[in-house]
Amino acid sequence: MDGQLKRGLLDVCALAAIKSGESYGYQMIKDMKPYLEMSESTLYTILKRLEGAEMLTVRSAEHGGRLRKYYRITRKGLDRIEEFREDWSMILSIYRFITREEEAHE
Amino acid sequence: MNKETFLAGLRQQLAGLPLEEREERLDFYGEMLDDRLEDGLTEEEAVESLGTPDEVAAQVLAEIPMAMILREKVRPKRRMKAWETVLLILGSPIWLSLLVAGLAVGFSLYVVLWVIVFSLWVVALALGASALGCLFGAGFYLFRGRPGEAGFFFGACLVCVGLTLLWIALSLALTKGAVKLTTGIWPGIKARLTRKEEAE
Repeated sequence: MDGQLKRGLLDVCALAAIKSGESYGYQMIKDMKPYLEMSESTLYTILKRLEGAEMLTVRSAEHGGRLRKYYRITRKGLDRIEEFREDWSMILSIYRFITREEEAHE
Repeated sequence: MNKETFLAGLRQQLAGLPLEEREERLDFYGEMLDDRLEDGLTEEEAVESLGTPDEVAAQVLAEIPMAMILREKVRPKRRMKAWETVLLILGSPIWLSLLVAGLAVGFSLYVVLWVIVFSLWVVALALGASALGCLFGAGFYLFRGRPGEAGFFFGACLVCVGLTLLWIALSLALTKGAVKLTTGIWPGIKARLTRKEEAE
């Protein structure tokens, strides 16, 4: 898959994993697992990028005698998901057009 | 492999990264392992699910810009003594020119590789053009009513077509090889720069 497209997709996936509430790295990977396998190093890079883009905020909190990082989505992050939905409804309509052409030829 | 050996291995592989960057990543993987243990996995299973330190380091390095690795590599680990600075400046006509020469050699090797690949395709194009030319020649003589010459040109055309196809197959294989070589070199250099050897 095209690198740029994939990166954009994975960013939104990570945002979607924290959309309904604060979460932490391992939980996010587990939540995404039925849909996509994301490696830890990939998730790390994405979280850093999203933090830099102010689409999520990070806080460290104590959990069971150790520190764990929690990620929370921001307004900007929610906007990004919305933007993604709009983009993809357009792409889906183009996709339907492309596959319809193919069926006509068969 | 347990958590400690995994993290120690990873630390060694990433020794060339800036301290903050490295520790933050190690904390991240440490947290990932702790969460897996809490989830009921054994230490062995938890480490296994992340991969070997080498594999994880390779993934990490793929995402880190070469510039950051180099900056860390050339950053002095301690303040230089006065005589070292003097030597460095006095020696600059030697080491600076050697450095430039080294970079130039590396760059030329790279250029030569791609020039060879380029020339392969030029030859393929020339063979294809010859095939087309021979075909025109055959048509020309046939039109002039000289079937002997036409036959000769048609034969030459077939030979050229055959050679073109063979040449394209060869060029394709060599181009793929060149791409593999140049893309393989980059992660290799990164790993070499950041790994801390046992002997050091």
